[in-house]
Amino acid sequence: MFTGTQLTHLSPVDLIILLLYFGMVLFIGFYVKGSTNTSEQFFLAGREMTAWIAGLSFVSANLGSLELMGWAGSAYQYGILATHWYWIGAIPAMLFLGIVMMPFYYISKTHSVPGYLQLRFGEGARGLAAISFAFMTILMSGVNMYAMAVVMQTVLGWNMTVSIWVGAATVALYVMLGGLRSAIINEVLQFVLIWAGAALIPILGLTEAGGWTQLKANIAINMQTNQYTHLWSTLGHFKDNPMGINWVGIVFGLGAIISFGYWTTDFLVVQRVLSAHNLRAAKMAPVIGAAFKMAVPLIVIVPGLICLGLMQNGHPLFHLVPADVAKGNPALHSYDQVLPLMLIRYCGPGLLGLGITALVAGFMSGMAGNVSAFSTVWTYDIYGAYMNKKASDQHYVWMGRASTIVGMLVSIATAYLVMNAASIMDYVQALFSFFIAPLFGTVILGMLWKRATNWGGFLGLLAGTASSIGMFIYTSTGSAEHKAAALARIALSPDAQPMAENMFRALWSWLICVGVTVIVSLVTRPRPESELNGLVYGATVIPHDGATTLFQKPIFWAAVVSVVFVILQIIFW
Amino acid sequence: MAEGTGKGESLSIWFFVGIMTLAYGVVLLPYGAYEWFGGHEADTVLNNLHPTFWWGLLMFLFGLVYTLKYRPRSGDKNKA
Repeated sequence: MFTGTQLTHLSPVDLIILLLYFGMVLFIGFYVKGSTNTSEQFFLAGREMTAWIAGLSFVSANLGSLELMGWAGSAYQYGILATHWYWIGAIPAMLFLGIVMMPFYYISKTHSVPGYLQLRFGEGARGLAAISFAFMTILMSGVNMYAMAVVMQTVLGWNMTVSIWVGAATVALYVMLGGLRSAIINEVLQFVLIWAGAALIPILGLTEAGGWTQLKANIAINMQTNQYTHLWSTLGHFKDNPMGINWVGIVFGLGAIISFGYWTTDFLVVQRVLSAHNLRAAKMAPVIGAAFKMAVPLIVIVPGLICLGLMQNGHPLFHLVPADVAKGNPALHSYDQVLPLMLIRYCGPGLLGLGITALVAGFMSGMAGNVSAFSTVWTYDIYGAYMNKKASDQHYVWMGRASTIVGMLVSIATAYLVMNAASIMDYVQALFSFFIAPLFGTVILGMLWKRATNWGGFLGLLAGTASSIGMFIYTSTGSAEHKAAALARIALSPDAQPMAENMFRALWSWLICVGVTVIVSLVTRPRPESELNGLVYGATVIPHDGATTLFQKPIFWAAVVSVVFVILQIIFW
Repeated sequence: MAEGTGKGESLSIWFFVGIMTLAYGVVLLPYGAYEWFGGHEADTVLNNLHPTFWWGLLMFLFGLVYTLKYRPRSGDKNKA
């Protein structure tokens, strides 16, 4: 089970903490099994979750091990710019989902995002979205597994195969038993444990550094520039910041397209909100999720910055390198190892077990999110839509459980494939922009523009997805000169780095999707307005959400979160 | 009905959160005390602040409050 060199080992007290966690998540799976007998209960948790539970689950499903370790590594690599993925790359979109889009998802009584597309644009758009989502979800799940196995190998010396199979089997068991209900309960628990295990790193790290101001000064000395601690002031030009991106890419590529695409149309997160017990809870859940999301950089970005600012005799204490450079060289550590390295620095026996439990919890919440969303889309939008339309409700629940197991097995196979990818985050970014950006174009036009037609929606989605894949192939194949020239064309600058290419590719694919949808819709026959009731703005009377006082109104709390968001941008400008 | 776990169940989600963190407090607090008062501090940076003890105490108190507040009571079941 143990292999080669490792950073540390678990003591008995650490093992007790880890075993307590595994025992609890499995108990929850068995405990809720009795109340997941119908498809509505299995796939949508009976639609009886409160706003707090749906909101915490919403943000926790996204807080997988990739988020924790990948972005801590990105914070070391790119500095505070990585925070954009938590703030402008999440908060506006989450609030928009809650206030503008959730009423349509909720009152249409759809069971999934592809299900909404079927109601709005017909079978073509639904089929395309369902298949691409199922494909992406399984790949994401595999990436998550791989990320966790790497940590277990690096930190504890555990064999990667053992880590993958033990983690996958646990998640598969509790999701198969309790469906979305089990996944949601565990996600809320995991969210608390992630904070319990990871919050000590920024607290002790900032104490060691002497506070935030001193940490910034240390980073400026170590990196010989102050570019690493400014959120916006370095985004005037590609050359002025470590990420090689400009404000157009961040605001329009990340903030307007990738973020809105992910948070408003990725069924993994939307499914959690659909489990809410009424319209007001469904609108409040993303707002609550946004408030917690704003705090996540404390446990993800700050540890990366602390590592960047640590000194020894006036020189940087750590020299982390890209994963492909570190591979095969035990003396080197990769960017993705920032969080485990900081954990070991500050946490002794007991706390180390808690920190490892936090990473495992992140892994499981991400995996459970992927696999429960996959089984829902597979069962409702692929199997139930095209293979077996008239089966009993019991049969679909059985199919949901079976597809959970099959999905997990495919994810495991994917994890082994991903082992050869150079950088985890680049891989995921590429996946997002293949499917998510065009899907957002289709859904938003479907919700806000009555004139959008079935053919417009389908062909727009197809064109956006195909163009995104085409651009990816264009920029990632051929000679080094060709790649550099292709990147410069896509990102509109010879100084652009690969991260900028992802943002701009998402932007172009969204524009192509919207353009094709509009043009095709204008030359094809629109659906009668009577068919669009409950699906499109302007053709729907949205029911009152039941809020009677100011403090009950989701829009009020969305405004509060928006104000805090703006203040944070100014503080870290 | 217990919040979030569904009709027919008596345990709240928050009870699970409470019992889990309480269990961690029960493990960490005595171990932190053993490290601090027994002179067995781990070889970590800032171990002079005794983080295991204080964090264990925090988790114990948090878990205790949540466990007591959301503990199952008679009559919860099927009270939807």
